Formats: sequence, C-alpha cells, structure tokens
Amino acid sequence: MTLSNQYREQKADSVTTGTPSEPDQHAITDWSGTVGDALIDDPRMSTRNVNVFYADNQAIHDVSLDIGKNEVLAMIGPSGCGKSTFLRTLNRMNDSIDICRVEGDIVLDGDNIYDKHMDVVALRAKVGMVFQKPNPFPKSIYDNVAYGPRIHGLVSRRAELDEVVETALRKAGLWDEAKDRLDKPATGLSGGQQQRLCIARTIAISPEVILMDEPCSALDPIATARIEELIAELSENYTIAIVTHSMQQAARVSHRTAYFHLGKLIEVGATDKIFTSPDHKLTEDYITGRFG
Amino acid sequence: MDKLQFDKHTSAQYNAELEEARKNLMQMGGLVEQQVDDAVRALMEMDTSLAQRVIETDTTVNEMELDIDEECTRILARRHPAASDLRFIIAVSRAVTDLERMGDEAAKVARHTLELADTGSGPQGYVELRHIGVEVRHMVQHSLDAFARLDADSALDVMQQDKSVDLEYGTAIRSLITTMMEDPRSISRALNVMWSLRSLERIGDHARNIAESVIYLVKGKDVRHKKLEHVEAQVKRD
Repeated sequence: MTLSNQYREQKADSVTTGTPSEPDQHAITDWSGTVGDALIDDPRMSTRNVNVFYADNQAIHDVSLDIGKNEVLAMIGPSGCGKSTFLRTLNRMNDSIDICRVEGDIVLDGDNIYDKHMDVVALRAKVGMVFQKPNPFPKSIYDNVAYGPRIHGLVSRRAELDEVVETALRKAGLWDEAKDRLDKPATGLSGGQQQRLCIARTIAISPEVILMDEPCSALDPIATARIEELIAELSENYTIAIVTHSMQQAARVSHRTAYFHLGKLIEVGATDKIFTSPDHKLTEDYITGRFG
Repeated sequence: MDKLQFDKHTSAQYNAELEEARKNLMQMGGLVEQQVDDAVRALMEMDTSLAQRVIETDTTVNEMELDIDEECTRILARRHPAASDLRFIIAVSRAVTDLERMGDEAAKVARHTLELADTGSGPQGYVELRHIGVEVRHMVQHSLDAFARLDADSALDVMQQDKSVDLEYGTAIRSLITTMMEDPRSISRALNVMWSLRSLERIGDHARNIAESVIYLVKGKDVRHKKLEHVEAQVKRD
C-alpha cells in the first residue's frame, strides 16, 4: 500500500467511524411536515389532516395524502408506524374497533367517507380490501366471487352472474386454474390461489379503489410474483393502495411510495426517487436497513 | 441529507461487505495513483526499468478490477441495496472501470517512454508533459480522496481541474505540431510525446469521471455530460 493510500485510509476511517448508535437515533426530532409530493392533481381519493387515536394513544398524526387514479401507492415503514391503521381508515375498517377515533377528511368522489350519512356498506363496495392472510368464505369458488354481486344486487340473472364471476376470475388470473372446479370448496385452493380468489372477490363488485394489507406475506415467491403481476395489470383499471413490509415489493409494484414513521407521514415521492435518492434521512435509514 | 454512513446497518455483515468493497477500491486507487506517478516519472527521467514496472503493474490492476466488480455483483444479488447503498455500489463499480482505464493509459505512457528511450530522443515537448503530468497526478489523487471522504466539493474541484488540463493539452499539441512542421525529422519522437500527452489527458478525463461518481454518490444527482456551471449549482445546493 502506498503512503498516500494509507493516508487516505486514515481519513476515510475518520469519516465512516461515527459515534455508537444512540437508542433514540430514529426519534423524529425536527418534524417540519411531510417531504415530497403528498398532494397531487385530480386524485382518486384524498385525505387531509387525518389523526387516528386508539383511546388516548395517537396512532396517526396529521396525515395528508392523495392517491391518484390508476396509481399503485405503496405504504412502507417499520412495525407500529401506522401504515396499516392509515390504510384501514380508507374504507372505515377501524369502525369495528370501539376505542378507535378518526379525525380529518377522507374524500372519495367528493364525499367525506366519515360523514354520518355515509353508507359504510356502499363505501366498502367502492373501496375493496385484500388482507394479509387469504380469507375465502367456506363456500365454493363460484359462491365466493358471486357473494358480493349478490348481496349488493348488482346482477339479476344467473347468466349475468356467471359472466361477472368469469370476468373477475380472469382479471385475477385464476380462471384457467378454477374454471373446471367452480363448485368445489375455495378452501381446497393453494394459498396463492386463495389470495387471487380474494382479489377476484374484491373486483367482482367493480370497486374504485383496492386496499391491500401485506397481500403476499403468507405466500411463496412464485405466488408473490403472480400477485405482483396482477397488481400491475389491475392498476390499469383500479387505484391500488398497498401496505407491504417488503421494500423490494414496494419498489417493484408501486408508482409512488409513502414512508411512515411513528404515526407520521415522513416522505412521499415517485418510487424511483424514494429508492435511489430519498430526501429524508429517516426514509434513507429505513430502506437501507440502518434501523438498529 | 446528513453525512452518509455506511457502517450503521442492522446487519453487521452488510457493513463489513460494503467496507470491504470500499477498502479494495481505495487499495486499487492507491496502486493506479502510483502507476500514473511512476509513468510520468519514467518518462521525465527516461527510466526504462520503471517504465517496465508500470507495464507489469497493469496485470494486478486488471485483476483488482475483476475482484471488486465481482464483489459489487455479489452485494447487488444478495443485499438488494437501496438509496445511498445502491449509489455507493454503482459509484464503486464505475470508479473501478475508470481506474482500470487509467492503468491502461499509464501503461501506454510507459510504452512510449520505452520507444523514446530506444530512439535516444532529446527533451523537446517535455515541459508540457511535466506540466500536465503534475496536474493529472493531482486530479487522480484528489478524485480518490473525494471518494474516500465522500466530499462532493473536492469532487467539483477535480472537475474544474480537468478543464484546465484540457486547455493545456490543446496548447501542447499546437506547439508539437509547430515543432513537427519546423523539423520533420522530429515527427516520430513528437508523435510519441503527443500520444503520451493524449494518455495523460485521458487519465484526467477518468479522474473527472470518478469525481462525477462521487457527486452522484453523495448528492444523488447524475452530473455526467452536464456543464460545469450546472454541476456547481447541484453541488452547492443545500
């Protein structure tokens, strides 16, 4: 090693060897609002100053975020950051939790979804949801998909219903595998197939927005790849908000990414930008695995 | 954005892998810096054994390029780096390519030195060579320092230096052309000097490329093919 090289090594060491990590190094000390483009023109769904409380604990702090038409928005962040709580406010899934209180405006098609006149059943038809664990009803494949159109009275004749079921299963990429066993129990499908069935069930009632809460966390890589492919296809017709623990998944499937930390929306931006040069240090630390 | 730190990952193994890549790059940088240094000195002093050594070192530099590239590929495949880590790997991979080319150019200078020594030529054109040689050596050194310290301002200085090397190169070429016109017998020797100058100028270009990689790594801005004023604005921002 040359002298100048040794010298450089020393200088470099003094740069990279910092003080040991403090336990509160990821506390939000200089909060001055969300970084990036949280608000966009002509959104499908918009939220303003949303605060969510579980009894006295505030889980979401003043989040304002728009979701665009035909956009896949990924929400990422460490456990307990509020991303799932926020996702669930978008179709009032938190209503079932007694101690949960939501403040702020969440607007879909010009209506505040928390308005007391809002029909929650109709809202959930417009804003469908896919959960972490596939949760097919203990019914046949056909009945799972037909359930929504039936209870919402979307079809009157059997032929119409058949068509809706076929279309939904095709869009969910499950038709070829399921067409010969439509009357068989849905629980007989594999995990990945069950999750695609849940997606088919969601899109059978033609929602505007699909919420996905870690839809692939119980699936193997092949089934995950199929769901991700499906998300890309579905985004041509639907708006999708997805919560995921897999950053690679967020990077692969989404157009925009929102990073949550301790209940605050830290940064929102084009996924390409967030994963190559994020502006906020907390975002950088999270996506590069610097959380200790 | 705060100062980049590559030793704060949850995975200590990941820290070690990035540190290893950085260390190896710096080691390769040190070797190439020495190679450039020796090439210029061999030419100035017509030291053929030193020139021979410069040519031989090239094999080691080439091997280092392959090793570091393989390391980068492994990190990309296994760690899926993002943000500053991703920019770091891209920057290392680009810098390694530039260093290897610098080594090639230094070896070319050494070969011209051997040819000049064979013809027993006089020192015409050497003033320009010495001048550019010194400047280029500084550029190489400063670009590697900027990488080691993650210092975008120093990287910008290197880019500015490249402009002055390019100007001097133009002047030196014009003066050599004059010499050739005045004395056609000097053409063979002048060509060797010219090619050496050309190699040194190329080394300067590669140092500039490394500086651009440093700016990309530190600021997240790709400043390749951008005007110097534009780069200056990017670096000085925030």
